[in-house]
Amino acid sequence: MVSLILNENMKLYRRIRTWVMVVLMIGAVLLGSFMEWHYDDKSMQGDGWRTEIADEQRQMQQGLSSPDMGDDTKRYYQDQILINDYRLEHDIRPTSGTMWDGINGSAELIVLITLFTVIIAGDSLAGEFATGTIKLLLIRPASRFKIWLAKYLSLILFSLMLLCILFVVSVLFNGLLYGFGWMNLPLLEVNGSGQVAEYNMVANLWKTYLLNGVSTIIFVSMAFMISSAFRSSTMAIGISIAALFAGAILMELLQAYDWSRYLLFANIDLSQHLSGRPYQEGMTLSFSIIVLAIHFAVFNLVSWLVFTRRDVAA
Amino acid sequence: MSQEPVVSLRQVTKRVGRHTIIDNLTFDVPQGEIFGFLGPNGAGKTTTIRMMVGLMSITNGEILIKGKNIKSQFEQAIRHVGAIVENPEMYKFLSGYHNLVHYARMIPGIPKERIREVVELVKLEDRIHDKVKKYSLGMRQRLGVAQALLHRPSVLILDEPTNGLDPAGIRELRDYLHYLTREEGITVIVSSHLLSEMELMCDRVAILQKGRLVDVKRIQEFMNTDDKAQTFLIEALPVEQALAIVREVEGVSGVKPVSEGIELIADRAVIPEVVSRLIEANIAIYEVRSVRQSLEDRFLQITGGEKIG
Repeated sequence: MVSLILNENMKLYRRIRTWVMVVLMIGAVLLGSFMEWHYDDKSMQGDGWRTEIADEQRQMQQGLSSPDMGDDTKRYYQDQILINDYRLEHDIRPTSGTMWDGINGSAELIVLITLFTVIIAGDSLAGEFATGTIKLLLIRPASRFKIWLAKYLSLILFSLMLLCILFVVSVLFNGLLYGFGWMNLPLLEVNGSGQVAEYNMVANLWKTYLLNGVSTIIFVSMAFMISSAFRSSTMAIGISIAALFAGAILMELLQAYDWSRYLLFANIDLSQHLSGRPYQEGMTLSFSIIVLAIHFAVFNLVSWLVFTRRDVAA
Repeated sequence: MSQEPVVSLRQVTKRVGRHTIIDNLTFDVPQGEIFGFLGPNGAGKTTTIRMMVGLMSITNGEILIKGKNIKSQFEQAIRHVGAIVENPEMYKFLSGYHNLVHYARMIPGIPKERIREVVELVKLEDRIHDKVKKYSLGMRQRLGVAQALLHRPSVLILDEPTNGLDPAGIRELRDYLHYLTREEGITVIVSSHLLSEMELMCDRVAILQKGRLVDVKRIQEFMNTDDKAQTFLIEALPVEQALAIVREVEGVSGVKPVSEGIELIADRAVIPEVVSRLIEANIAIYEVRSVRQSLEDRFLQITGGEKIG
């Protein structure tokens, strides 16, 4: 099994395409971080944050007293005021003006990891069929299931590698831009009982990474299934990328309908449950996990069944 | 040979939808032979080969390789098989060497040394570290042979191995196959639509037509089925006069003028008589030879003249 994964990795990393993606990934982190740093309000850097926070507090207090404010906004303001009080009291600066600002911002680029891995997943099986190499691959003493699994695992490893690149590059580059200060800066959030709590910034960052990674795995499974079922990389990549970008728009249109909560795209962003603002009232984290698990199981079952059963005729 | 057959097919049938592509094939391939599959396009040669290597499922019946069922004991059965299915399609973005590393990793117990050995065998030492996309078709074919031999298989299965090869390449391949069967005792199964090639290459031939087995015979048996009355060709001038004389000889039939001279069917014993009559009549004789029936003629005869390839 290990040697099969080594094979898949060899086929992956000895292609220029893969390294173009890695370079694009690094480039996107550099560019994104630089732009954010360049247009950042420099007044938050250094010790300027105290006056900024004090200003913010006054504005939000004023805002709260205005009568035409929605409930959501009101709660947000109240939470922010609590946090800001805590900052001033314990001398904990906000992330703005530190490297954490850029690093957390770069986490958005996980969508690129999804995109790149989907492209490779879509081509992974279909490409072997298209070039005919599948015939020499399947006449070895390794069952089709093992070959399928090795391909799948190599995709997961590839996305993990991109994730590590994202982390390392964004930490180093933002460290250079903002300076490697405030390494141990905690993340402040209002917890369920209405108190401000301190969280570890790096742990939070990886939590964000992994929650977004769930959607990566779902999209990769989808691309892999289409790749296996239709043996067409164009179709697999096309459909999965369309789903990746159009899913959110589609869900906005369908939000009014109750049944839409059972759809994949209503649940794919698990961070909706952390922020406490799910797609529809009454959706819980476990509900979303179940919906995702069912999709995950169906995608992989179909792709495995089709791949191991169908004749290689082309 | 007395050993148990290396490959045996038992009532193998393949149906796709309502079409029966392969109908009840049963035959054995003994060890150390070059066994050919012959048949017009669509006769089921490729389908049969794909079932043998597990690329296609078998609807009914079973295929055994060294006694192991290709369906239920796939990993044990396929271990003994090396194959090229149609063109040897390798990973073009990898070097020839890395392609071999790739396949070697899929079978336990192949040392690096063995890779070097097969590379030497197919004479690719100089180019093995080049990317496959830079290889000529002949070199790809040789790399294909190398990957098929990596794990010292008992059976080598080649589907249309001469496809796209130039005459020199075909000859080279033929020499390899003879070497492998004679020196290493490997059994080779080839399919081809190039009948003249099969004639030079194979020890035994199975003829397929519309998914059915028409006949399995040794090549020599195919060639000499009608020993008594053979066809002869006489090149002599003037033709008209010669024709008239030959027709007179007792025991000669089917006399007709052809482009090269006169064709006749006769017992071998009658030929001296024919020649001396012609000489008596002062006819100039340039050539007398027996026209051996080629595999192609036999093939057309057996399959009822269906067009080949």
